Amino acid sequence: MPGDNIIVGISQEILSVFFDPLKRVYWVYLLSAAAVAFVWLKFRRNLSFFSAIRKIFSKASWWNTSARADYCVMAVNSALMSVISPKLLGQTAVAYLVFEWMHTLFAGRPQTLEYLPQWAMMAAFTVILFVLDDLARYVVHRMLHRVPVLWAFHKVHHSATALNPLTVFRMHPVEGVIFAIRGALVQGITIAVFVFFFGSKVQLLMVFGAGVFNWMFNAFLANLRHSHIQIGFWKPVERVFISPAQHQIHHSISEHHHDKNFGVALAIWDWVFNTHCHSNTQEKLVFGLSAESTEESHRLSLLYIQPFLEAFRTATSPIRRLREVRKTATQNSLP
Amino acid sequence: MKFKTMLTLFFVGTLLPALAQSESEVYMNFPITVKGYAGDKTDSASYSGQIARHLLHNSLKKLAGKGNGEPNEELKAKMMAYYAGTDEGREILDPKSKDGFAIKQTMIDEISKGKELKGKTYKGAVNSWPGYMTGPEVLEFLIDKASSANKGYDPITGYDYGQLISKFMMGAVFYNQAVDNYLDERLTADKNPNDKPYKEGRHYSGKEHVWDEAFGYFGAPAHAIDLEADQAYSIAKRKPDVMAAADHNSDGVVDLKTEMTYAHAYYAADADKGGKTSYLSDITGAFIDGRKLITAADSNALTDAQRAELMTIADTIKMKWEQVIAEATFKYAGSVYKDLQKLIAIVEANGDVSDAFRAYAKHWGELKGFSMALQTSGKDLGETAVKINRLIGFSPVHLDGNQVTGIDGNGNYMTASGSSMAEYMVHMVKLQNLLGDAFNLTKRKNDATSQLADLIESVGASKGAETD
Repeated sequence: MPGDNIIVGISQEILSVFFDPLKRVYWVYLLSAAAVAFVWLKFRRNLSFFSAIRKIFSKASWWNTSARADYCVMAVNSALMSVISPKLLGQTAVAYLVFEWMHTLFAGRPQTLEYLPQWAMMAAFTVILFVLDDLARYVVHRMLHRVPVLWAFHKVHHSATALNPLTVFRMHPVEGVIFAIRGALVQGITIAVFVFFFGSKVQLLMVFGAGVFNWMFNAFLANLRHSHIQIGFWKPVERVFISPAQHQIHHSISEHHHDKNFGVALAIWDWVFNTHCHSNTQEKLVFGLSAESTEESHRLSLLYIQPFLEAFRTATSPIRRLREVRKTATQNSLP
Repeated sequence: MKFKTMLTLFFVGTLLPALAQSESEVYMNFPITVKGYAGDKTDSASYSGQIARHLLHNSLKKLAGKGNGEPNEELKAKMMAYYAGTDEGREILDPKSKDGFAIKQTMIDEISKGKELKGKTYKGAVNSWPGYMTGPEVLEFLIDKASSANKGYDPITGYDYGQLISKFMMGAVFYNQAVDNYLDERLTADKNPNDKPYKEGRHYSGKEHVWDEAFGYFGAPAHAIDLEADQAYSIAKRKPDVMAAADHNSDGVVDLKTEMTYAHAYYAADADKGGKTSYLSDITGAFIDGRKLITAADSNALTDAQRAELMTIADTIKMKWEQVIAEATFKYAGSVYKDLQKLIAIVEANGDVSDAFRAYAKHWGELKGFSMALQTSGKDLGETAVKINRLIGFSPVHLDGNQVTGIDGNGNYMTASGSSMAEYMVHMVKLQNLLGDAFNLTKRKNDATSQLADLIESVGASKGAETD
């Protein structure tokens, strides 16, 4: 039946992320994150073997109202994005467009740079792509917080009152579209520029099916950012790489934590642009939008519809204010 | 049951099918099925007329490079004798025997008499060439120009007439005849019926010969399936190290009727080198399958079901043959792209461009010729054809950005300022993308953007399902 096919398709789409080395929740990365968490709890927090295991896999962390909403949003988004993604501007379109445009810009295509050693080209491409991608994530993430209309959508992610690795999928589809376009632009432009100048020498340094830096980030840090395990780094390191605890601060409802630590893998952007905050693993963090979060805050219909209403109200508030000012002025001018 | 009877049954039951299996790998030794045939022929496969035309084409290409830069009526007459003549005594100018690669025949008549190319050329309008001409008119125009060019090359326009004539002719004659005639209307029930000889007294039925003729135009050796792609390719190059592979009947000479690689079979083999594609064996295998089906009908009229099956096989051949031509077009678009890159660098360094421009003209001739051939199948390629022609234009872009735009009343080329060479590089990129998508290409040799695709794949699609 067609309905069955759709359900099977969506199920496959959801499950595929656990088997794709390019995704954060690839089963190997989840396993390695659990191992890192275990080592941290056992040797840094001095928990017993079983206490550490119980803490990592505690039902309270993985099966609460907020977590269940995460899973539902992930399922709905998988279905929605499988329809939306093919219609979005992709890396391929951007890369080809920029590659072609550069021929006109440079009146041809230089040959000489192809003689540079391949190892240098591979290293340069891998590092620059990682750095630019991370910077773009920082910029977009910061805008999602600072631009009121965008914040209306990003609030869905911050409405999580408990964090687990699948919270990374708790997002409004509008934000999904924004992130997809960001990725397409940054990756498409970087790939096109490198290929244009360095041709066949350009390759991504890969480990087990993923770019080396993404692999390292995903294998050891990415899944602990959204978790209840507070792992902090030595302060000088936290200026360069964001620790899981630093990202958990980003989710904290405490006012002094607001608009801090927008970075993804690198902390240098936060440091340079004054949004940096060190972790304090002794501090008890409360996650969410406010202390008044209720079960209602995790209702699916609210998570999907409320952002549109709020974004509309935010976008139209200057017009409403202008009308009020005019109305007041008219009333005051009456005899 | 006696032991001898059992042994005989075992032999018949197991070994004979195995022998039949091994025979089926070669496009020859098909039994005579025509009822009442009284002649001495034992193989009903026959396509010598098509091989003669391949040799006329090969020879004509050779002649196209014989000009000295001055109008030459003698050369033109000789070229026309190979294109439109039917006279006896025409020598095979290519391929010829050489050390380590002996060829059986030296004259066209040894293959088939009275054959010509003009009458078999695509009669439709050729929109890919200026001047609003039909297929035969375009070829006669090119032959005229080639005869007065210096070794077939005009450095002013950048035309390599040998390449243009050869690549277009392969489409306009061989491809068109096969896919728009023999594998199309000649497979209908009332044309060349299978329950009658092709012609009175012939040793093959109507459908048997129709199918053979299409196979002959493809240009594969009869034993192509037994050959590796690079062997089939090297046979056309007459490389001594493939002499043994070419000489299927081990008589010490290569029989041009059955053991040589020609035309699109050569380009299929070229694409197949490296193993990404298998056009040569797929197309030859399909031809053998179709021929077996017709032979099995034993000179009875084909049923509707048999004809439907045959049409399905024919469709496979048509599709893959089209892909072979599209792959060649794709490859030369990549060559032209690289040539332009080199040319721009030489111009910027104030170097001598003559050799680089000659290579560019050769590759452009191949590109243009194949793209023109692609449009001779009788099938309307619609906007794909329009875009292909627009992207390539009527000539290579010259160093000053000029390009041929038409032909005046006296047969002279008209030029106008068009794209720069850098912009023309972009045209080649767009052309490769268009060809790759429209014809679902796999080999994609000389792909100017393969690195883009590879990197995009290794980086992974950004579907935007994750946030922070």
